[in-house]
Amino acid sequence: MTVLLLEGVSKTRGTGAHATRALRDASLSVASGEVVLLEGASGAGKTTLLAVAAGLVTPDAGRVVLAGRSLADLSPAARRRHRARVVGFVFQRSNLLERLTAWENVLLMAQLAGRTAAEARGETEKVFAQLDIAHLAPRRPEELSGGEEQRVGVARALVHGPALVLADEPTGNLDGAAGRVVAEALAACSKLRGAAVLVATHDARLAPFATRKVPIVDGRLDYPPSDGQ
Amino acid sequence: MTADTGDGISADVRLVAKALRNWPARAWLAVGGVATSSLLVIALVAALRGASHSVVAYVSQDGADLWITPPGADHFLRLSGVLPAVLADSVRSLPGVAAADVILRAFVAVSSRRRGARFRLTLYGIGYRAPEGLGGPPAFAAGRAPSKLREVALDRAAARRLGVGLDDTVFVNGRGARVVGLTTGTNLLVTQFIFADATAIAALSGFAGRASFIIVRLAPGAHSDTVAAQIGARFPDVGVFDRATFVANSQREAGAGYVPVLAFVDILGVGAAAVLVALLIHTLVESRRAELAVLLALGATPGMLAGGLIREATRLVVTGGVLGAGLARLLAVVLDRVYPVIPLRVDWGDTLWVLALFIACGTLASAIPVARLGRVDPLEAFRA
Repeated sequence: MTVLLLEGVSKTRGTGAHATRALRDASLSVASGEVVLLEGASGAGKTTLLAVAAGLVTPDAGRVVLAGRSLADLSPAARRRHRARVVGFVFQRSNLLERLTAWENVLLMAQLAGRTAAEARGETEKVFAQLDIAHLAPRRPEELSGGEEQRVGVARALVHGPALVLADEPTGNLDGAAGRVVAEALAACSKLRGAAVLVATHDARLAPFATRKVPIVDGRLDYPPSDGQ
Repeated sequence: MTADTGDGISADVRLVAKALRNWPARAWLAVGGVATSSLLVIALVAALRGASHSVVAYVSQDGADLWITPPGADHFLRLSGVLPAVLADSVRSLPGVAAADVILRAFVAVSSRRRGARFRLTLYGIGYRAPEGLGGPPAFAAGRAPSKLREVALDRAAARRLGVGLDDTVFVNGRGARVVGLTTGTNLLVTQFIFADATAIAALSGFAGRASFIIVRLAPGAHSDTVAAQIGARFPDVGVFDRATFVANSQREAGAGYVPVLAFVDILGVGAAAVLVALLIHTLVESRRAELAVLLALGATPGMLAGGLIREATRLVVTGGVLGAGLARLLAVVLDRVYPVIPLRVDWGDTLWVLALFIACGTLASAIPVARLGRVDPLEAFRA
């Protein structure tokens, strides 16, 4: 089932002399259970594509359908609610909130997705167990290694059972072993939860975990959209 | 749907607020600034209360049921004009009057010599029928009322400023007198009271045969309105006031000199605190843009973030305000024991009012930087 569909999406960032065409007529579909690597150099448009896919940025042209709903048809508030429910984010740095423990960081995401306190606690416990990071729960981000932080970041992305996980250079700041652990955790997203995973990266270590690679160059996707998805 | 924690705040907002909590050194400095500002405001109001209390304590003392004043005077402070002292004899003979005593009030120069140094104050000299007549000291910290012409009872703050105690000698308009009592509730902040027999004050001030006021004590069962009406009918050129009215008028007059200055300084104090809070929240927004962007990207609403920041601002203001209120109470106790010249009466109602004002101003001040949340781009989460 198609979770994310981009059709002819274009986006220009900046204005005047500083205007840059970040995306040019980009089309892409990602289905449940897929791990798609969006490969490109810095400035190629990877992050903009992730932001457009999440509804954080409105495209100048084209259509974005996320978990069955066209984002253009949603109000900003409805788009935010939809994003909170169906999208999980893994950032280059974990971007865990430093005042919260690992547990609270993950719990907050479940609550932002609209879960009751009891549901949020239950789902947080479950994801900590699935990713085998229960021992990290009481620690604050400053007490975690880079790899541990990113695994908690993956837990945050997964806790509310999103249909789509968007990961932006998730292993960019990690050494070999830590990067592999995080890559395995991302792969687990699709296996354990059936989520579609779209990873913006230029880290070759992630390749073995991908079901598909999509190159992006100067905002163009060198990939034809899959038929029927 | 969001879960409610039972304190009226949804669990997500609570966690967002916790995520934005920021108590490094600069937050404590802001708390210190708010505390200092609230201390200033509460102390100024308490000083006014202290001075006002002294007026009330004196004017509302037992037995002072009616006050007879010179024409045009409706309060105890800063009036001019005198009455003939013999008026007291006429009033005393009226039905319903149990006692009527002359009060002569005049500014007097009081000085002392201690260890070769000379101290000098201008005080409210209160002459009354010492030692037991109406209008004497409302309360004593030590000693007793004067009973001889060369004896005085002195406000304890004035005594401290003059460096004298019981049995010491002070010079009232140049004439020596022994201090036999130290009084309390007689400090008007800008000046204090000194009590002596009316004859002595009259001789010192040149007001022999005159009275500033006549205090009337009613006979049991007599009604103040009836007796006041009688006095007014018999002596149409004087003012007659019941105790409550005279107290209220005197309080109004006591505040009249202070209130504009106090209000001005209080506004500056509240303004300074508001600027501190606004500055801190502004710094918080700017320094935590990345986290704010992450929260927005994850699905937090601007309202949640604004709520979290305003909660933070309120915590700072409440912490600083309560600290300032506590310090004001401590200061009142310490000053009373160590330096009673500044009479602080910290009132719970005033304190709560000031705290409410600080919270309102702090919240309003935080609205300006909170409005800058609109400039936070969720995309910054990807660049963090």
